[in-house]
Amino acid sequence: MQAGTMDLVTLVVFGSWLAPALGSAFGREVFASAENADKDYDSAFEYDYESLRIGGLVFAVVLFVLGIVLIVTKKCSCSSDKPRPKDPDVETAVPIAQ
Amino acid sequence: MGYGRSDSYRVATTQDKDKSPKKKKGGKDMDELKKEVPITEHKMSIEEVCRKFQTDCVQGLTNAKAAEYLIRDGPNALTPPPTTPEWVKFCRQLFGGFSVLLWTGAILCFLAYAIQAATEDDPAGDNLYLGIVLTAVVVITGCFSYFQEAKSSKIMESFKNMVPQQALVIREGEKVQINAEEVVGGDLVEVKGGDRIPADIRVVSAHGCKVDNSSLTGESEPQSRSPDNTHDNPLETRNVAFFSTNCVEGTARGIVICTGDRTVMGRIATLTSGLETGKTPIAKEIEHFIHIITGVAVFLGVTFFILAIVLGYSWLEAVIFLIGIIVANVPEGLLATVTVCLTLTAKRMAKKNCLVKNLEAVETLGSTSTICSDKTGTLTQNRMTVAHMWFDNQIHEADTTEDQSGASFDKSSVTWLSLARVAGLCNRAQFKAGQDALPILKRDVAGDASESALLKCIELCCGSVRANRDRNKKVAEIPFNSTNKYQLSIHETEDTNDNRYLLVMKGAPERILDCCSTIMVQGKEQPMDEELKESFQNAYMELGGLGERVLGFCHTMLAEDQYPKGFAFDTDDVNFQTDQLCFIGLMSMIDPPRAAVPDAVGKCRSAGIKVIMVTGDHPITAKAIAKGVGIISEGNETVEDIAARLNIPVSQVNPRDAKACVIHGTDLKDLSQDQMDDILRNHTEIVFARTSPQQKLIIVEGCQRLGAIVAVTGDGVNDSPALKKADIGVAMGISGSDVSKQAADMILLDDNFASIVTGVEEGRLIFDNLKKSIAYTLTSNIPEITPFLLFICANIPLPLGTITILCIDLGTDMVPAISLAYETAESDIMKRQPRNPFRDKLVNERLISIAYGQIGMIQAVAGFFAYFVILAENGFLPSRLVGIRLNWDDRSVNDLEDSYGQQWTYEQRKIVEFTCHTAFFVSIVVVQWADVIICKTRRNSVFQQGMRNKILIFGLFEETALAAFLSYCPGMDVALRMYPLKPSWWFCAFPYSFLIFVYDEVRKLLLRRNPGGWVERETYY
Repeated sequence: MQAGTMDLVTLVVFGSWLAPALGSAFGREVFASAENADKDYDSAFEYDYESLRIGGLVFAVVLFVLGIVLIVTKKCSCSSDKPRPKDPDVETAVPIAQ
Repeated sequence: MGYGRSDSYRVATTQDKDKSPKKKKGGKDMDELKKEVPITEHKMSIEEVCRKFQTDCVQGLTNAKAAEYLIRDGPNALTPPPTTPEWVKFCRQLFGGFSVLLWTGAILCFLAYAIQAATEDDPAGDNLYLGIVLTAVVVITGCFSYFQEAKSSKIMESFKNMVPQQALVIREGEKVQINAEEVVGGDLVEVKGGDRIPADIRVVSAHGCKVDNSSLTGESEPQSRSPDNTHDNPLETRNVAFFSTNCVEGTARGIVICTGDRTVMGRIATLTSGLETGKTPIAKEIEHFIHIITGVAVFLGVTFFILAIVLGYSWLEAVIFLIGIIVANVPEGLLATVTVCLTLTAKRMAKKNCLVKNLEAVETLGSTSTICSDKTGTLTQNRMTVAHMWFDNQIHEADTTEDQSGASFDKSSVTWLSLARVAGLCNRAQFKAGQDALPILKRDVAGDASESALLKCIELCCGSVRANRDRNKKVAEIPFNSTNKYQLSIHETEDTNDNRYLLVMKGAPERILDCCSTIMVQGKEQPMDEELKESFQNAYMELGGLGERVLGFCHTMLAEDQYPKGFAFDTDDVNFQTDQLCFIGLMSMIDPPRAAVPDAVGKCRSAGIKVIMVTGDHPITAKAIAKGVGIISEGNETVEDIAARLNIPVSQVNPRDAKACVIHGTDLKDLSQDQMDDILRNHTEIVFARTSPQQKLIIVEGCQRLGAIVAVTGDGVNDSPALKKADIGVAMGISGSDVSKQAADMILLDDNFASIVTGVEEGRLIFDNLKKSIAYTLTSNIPEITPFLLFICANIPLPLGTITILCIDLGTDMVPAISLAYETAESDIMKRQPRNPFRDKLVNERLISIAYGQIGMIQAVAGFFAYFVILAENGFLPSRLVGIRLNWDDRSVNDLEDSYGQQWTYEQRKIVEFTCHTAFFVSIVVVQWADVIICKTRRNSVFQQGMRNKILIFGLFEETALAAFLSYCPGMDVALRMYPLKPSWWFCAFPYSFLIFVYDEVRKLLLRRNPGGWVERETYY
């Protein structure tokens, strides 16, 4: 279920960027084009950096949160996961002599 | 830490091998003290001793004399080992090992900045920032490891026993209680059961006095003390009791002959603190690593320095480049990574009851090739236990396991009931009060070890001994003494109608047999015939051969007509029959091995670790225990065994035929160094018995001479010199003495030898994982250096800046590198041989070749691809870029034309350049995804290893999140000069990431397919 949400989120995030990204060929800071008054020629050089920043930040935050969630859930799955391979060791080695 | 010093020490040991444990070093006063003759007072008569100290063996010293001696000799306390001041410890963390590399880098940075500041008007701040960051990294990591170690030393503090000791001395004929520190030589001291002996004393009178020398010898068996000299060796003689040992029972008076550091205990402690130890294996590895890295850095630096000169740069510029390249080779994050990895392992080990005092010692156990283990308390349970019984003409085995899970024997025989009755009644040991809630085996017992063993055994099998004793009231008793060699008591019977008395007796079997005329078999008395006598002899020999202490038991009902009710038994002038008794059986006792030990020894053996037993105990017992725990494995014989089997003299046996050997301490003394080496080399299973503290040291040194990495386990003060000298000393947390804990590098909190196996496993795992971490961290060095190299050679705009490099090394790479410490082992690490410290290095040329030469190169290409794509998208085709540098970086050029003729101002150009830095940075993050996945394994495929390492996945997420954050967060363009990237630029490095993964999977596949083939020889790190 978690993986499902993750996929959805990444899809949305990527989708929201890919559209403007594909739309423009290249471009730099806004003032680079502002100096040339002719808007028709410059439209190709304009790029929506504002939404790119927001999209990027959302992406970063989502990844960060996912990472944290992974660590937190690790504890649960770990307690059922880790003892399995380590059980034989622990049992033979430690508890008998206290 | 110099080897020269330890060599000079070695000479010293051989010289005073036959004398008392001595050590030079320390102040001149110390030398003076140690030249003093060893103890001879035990050979003197009491009068002589009194004369020597001008004391009186009844009145004691006069107060004036005592005060005079106190001033002359100083207080009776051990000089604490010179403690390193905290700031020295801190500096050691700051400037030790890996930090040197970073410090050098930082200094070079400042140097380069100084040159720039002196020559340029507006110097770039990069070198200054880098220098500051490097310094900060070292300082922070230094603080971190300092606090880590301070934490474990705090645990050490808690072990210290702070209770001030008191001593009862007789001065001017009066008993006075004084502080043990004020005791002086010549003082007449009185000790009683439960006291700690305040100094080395020559016993002048004793009443049933027994001392527990375990703090000195490790053997907890109480020894009796009497005024007579029984042995030339002061350590063996009965009339000397030693400082800091315990008086278990009885009372004794003695004259103090040595105090403070001059006591036997003090000598050992001084010897220990005087020993210098070598570097830990991991420290050596890190040193080797630094050599390699410095080599590569200097080589690159000098090459490009020459190239820069050839290309026409000025000298100063070339020097700046040289420094820049050298510094770029410093893996900034690695110090922190290694420290964190070691700390994590130390934590994990502490959870498994191995407390590591020194971070570097974490790995040492993994490299260990020889373990010298003490016997008592480490391999054994350190409690006497009834192991065997012989009755009804048959040997029965008792349960010796700690949790009573072992097999039991037939308890239905009437003979057994009689035996149990005798063992319970003729026994002075009793449980201390208030322990009814505890399991029987855990209860404390007042009494001697053998009697306690019997008491517990009977209590377990037949119920309350006390109730039995109450029902059979004791009328008379002759306690055990060394002349009789038996103990006897007379009881009323529990049957009130029966007015006869019951006489029970136990003692040395042959002595008991002499008193008997009949023997009980299946509950019936039979006359003792030759056949039964022989069967008794065989059983006695067999049990004795197992290293067990054997006791015989007999009883009789005294005839009512001779001994009517109320008969006055006189135990001093024996007025009753002590012969014509009825023999019942034998019981034998041993300190049994701990349950987990045989398994642990087996694991050590399959891990290629040689386990040597070094004990102060007798050879037969030592050998029996060694066989029991598998140190001498089944079917392996000693020279003596072979001689006995073939019925030939020992001298005719070829020593090479015997894999096992048992060596007595006295023989060890006469061995030359070559003979010693020969023994250690040619025998795989060795037991040293009756060894002195110094001999333990010689054994450890012998092993180290042969190139072994030696772990020593021990608990007594006698073990501490060896613990200190060993590559890793392992002390016991529960039974261990303070001195041994101070000397050790690691403490087993549960005293269990099996915990060592966990330590070995963790140590080996961390060594493998550190390799992986380092391989991962080093790889990104190449994509970080090459931009600068191309910047110099091809005169292109700088593709990657210092700030972005730091973001990788100290930012995105950190979590994945650390997460590799959580990797599970690829194969059974306990099935392979210990690593050879000369061949299996932490970092070798192959690792460098993979990291720098192969994966690193692909990564660099990926970065440059992104760089060229962005510049091309902005109008600068690669062909235009070559040679553009001077104009590009010139502030006054504000009309630089790109390939399409567009003009760029300086500010605009810089924005594109820093966007390229960001893209290069992101590309490195993307290729490092693949890198961390391939670094998970060194031989196996990732598909075999799986992706179960959650921390690693977390690392992947976090590094990507961090990269996105750095690129997109508003304000970053001002703070770190990082600019937002178009999503398409993220994907530039993807094909390369995939390529790295496929490349390495193929390499590993070839490596697995052709073991020992070219691929393995050249690329397996």
